[in-house]
Amino acid sequence: MPIVELHEVRKAYDTKIAVHNLSFKIEPGSMFGLLGPNGSGKTSSIRMMIGITVPDSGSVTLFGQPFDRKNLIRVGYLPEERGLYKKMNVLDQLVFLGQLHGLDAATARKRSLIWCERMEITEAIPKKTEELSKGMQQKIQFIASLLHEPDLIIMDEPFSGLDPVNATLLQDTLVDLRKEGRAVLFSTHRMDQVEKLCDEIALIANGHLLLSGSMREVKSTYPRNRVQIAFEGADGFLKHPAIAAAKNYNGLAEIKLAPSSDLGHAAQSILAEALSMARISRFEVVEPTLEEIFIERVTAHATAQTTGSTNGVLAHA
Amino acid sequence: MHNVWLIAKREYIERIRARSFMVMTVLIPALMGGLLWGVGLTTGKTRSNASIAIVTEDPRFGLDLQSELATHKHPKIDATVISPPGPGTRAELEAAMNHKGLDGYLWVTPPASGHASPAFEWKPKSRSYLNTQNELGESVRTVLTKEGLAKSGLGAADVDLLMKPIDLDPSDAGKKDAANAAQASAFGLFFVMYFVIVFYGMNVARSIIEEKTSRIFEVLLATIKPEEMMAGKVIGVGAVGLSQVAIWLVAATALSIPGFISLGSEISFNVPPSLMVFFVVYFLLGYILYSGLAAALGAMTSSEQELQQMNIFLMLPLIACSGVIYNVISDPDGMIAKVFSFIPFCTPLIMYTRIAIHQPPWWEIALSLAGLVATLLVVLWFAARVYRVGILMYGKKPNLPELLRWLKYS
Repeated sequence: MPIVELHEVRKAYDTKIAVHNLSFKIEPGSMFGLLGPNGSGKTSSIRMMIGITVPDSGSVTLFGQPFDRKNLIRVGYLPEERGLYKKMNVLDQLVFLGQLHGLDAATARKRSLIWCERMEITEAIPKKTEELSKGMQQKIQFIASLLHEPDLIIMDEPFSGLDPVNATLLQDTLVDLRKEGRAVLFSTHRMDQVEKLCDEIALIANGHLLLSGSMREVKSTYPRNRVQIAFEGADGFLKHPAIAAAKNYNGLAEIKLAPSSDLGHAAQSILAEALSMARISRFEVVEPTLEEIFIERVTAHATAQTTGSTNGVLAHA
Repeated sequence: MHNVWLIAKREYIERIRARSFMVMTVLIPALMGGLLWGVGLTTGKTRSNASIAIVTEDPRFGLDLQSELATHKHPKIDATVISPPGPGTRAELEAAMNHKGLDGYLWVTPPASGHASPAFEWKPKSRSYLNTQNELGESVRTVLTKEGLAKSGLGAADVDLLMKPIDLDPSDAGKKDAANAAQASAFGLFFVMYFVIVFYGMNVARSIIEEKTSRIFEVLLATIKPEEMMAGKVIGVGAVGLSQVAIWLVAATALSIPGFISLGSEISFNVPPSLMVFFVVYFLLGYILYSGLAAALGAMTSSEQELQQMNIFLMLPLIACSGVIYNVISDPDGMIAKVFSFIPFCTPLIMYTRIAIHQPPWWEIALSLAGLVATLLVVLWFAARVYRVGILMYGKKPNLPELLRWLKYS
């Protein structure tokens, strides 16, 4: 039974269609990455999942039941726009937010203290929120969304604005939570994090779903047409006819192969030519990174939409 | 309901704890008291006792004026008669004014011809002795009239009878003080209601904008409904206002400090319990009406500056109320009072004031309450609609068509 299922969900604001017949589902115990460029409808989709806004058409299923507000206490939400009561004391604030999620004051207090220790911000507990750094405030909000031990954790850009140490701390925490069997959905444009953390992804642009599925599935649909070569010496081999595009980053060449029935052979012939003119310290045939897939799909979609609209035909990717 | 309670509780505790609450609670009565005291000081009796000299060639006129002045109590004027003046008298009087307790002197120059009036020259120590001057003028006129009447052949007894002051006391003298007290209390409570509605209504709007700018809305909206949030906020902030009023009323009743809430120093603060019930009912309804509107305004705008511009919609009816309040107090059953007490946005303030001074017929009270409650429901429905859409909208202020579309959103 999926934790969340969106079925043909659509939302329009005034003239703009924010979400266009979006469907996907999130399984328990999985880490789900919701990807897309700015303004693509990520936040709009999330808001409909938790009933902040209501879809114009389509349905949202939470925990196997049609959307019902009483299930919301099983959801933890960290919005993209961070917000806390500035003048309020940190502990009071956490207790208040915990109570809103159905905890009693004593439990909320106890869990807040435990979480503050886990997030290494015990010194912030007696302070007012406005006295804290932005990163600390973010950690407090992170805690606030987890106090009631939700089964579904939704985080909109959880790592933005954090230093690497704290970002890793949050990442590890999310991984632990997934191990406990909770479903985690987060949105981001940091593709490296998605590749490292996510089991499933959905890529949306302009409110359309471009791509979805498990990370392996998504990647396996793309041919292993990338070659990375670390070399010293001349770079004349980058003009090989089997190469569609190449970039040379100071002795590290990233090559995209031209479409061919035998990519392996093409890669080998490039390696042979490279060996003839340079010292090779590393040679690797890889699948495209998520970032490359992302850029390729989003650009293709944007082009299709412009040409589609100029021809008066609506093109859907 | 639990969520409404949580929101209201947070709002209440955070506000009561804030230093500004303490400051307001102490400062507002102090300012009001100070203002009333100051007004009393400048317009009231400037000098309760004065000692003056009367300089005249005619000793009989001097003595008559002296005894006339002695019959008055407010202000009490002790006069010394100097008659006839010597060559050094003026200098002596000036010196006495500067160094001794003399407050001024009246120099009477006899008329050149028999029929003209004598010339009166009044030299006070300071120009502020307005009351003394009025009193003196009146007394001089009385004495001159009496002299004139005596000259035309009337006997002293007849003259006294003619000049006897006429009492215009109301038939039941005991009611006069009570009516004054009722007016003063009505005015005091009108002011309290006005102030609390304006101040705490604005507070609701401001705190919504604050939450909008701090973007905490999204966190809260993930578990609770916008309607619950708005209700909690209005209740919480309103409870703070009620607490503040309660503190003032208890303090005013207990201490009965002159000039604290009531207007004059002679009138102590005294409100009958039935009127207190009316006060609470109208206050609550009025507060909810205005804070509902304020919540809608707060949700529509996204900064304090924008709110300031919209404020006028909130303030206009209240300003109108304070514009007619003197009229209502002096004529509680008049046309203006009646019309304004049935305008729902003015009902809480004006109808309450009318009840406080002179109870209108029951059907009028019932009608005003019905109109008020009906308006209240419409305003709350409107505010809730605007609120649930508006709090998630940032940036541009909506125009009227956009606002109407908001009402249709689910």
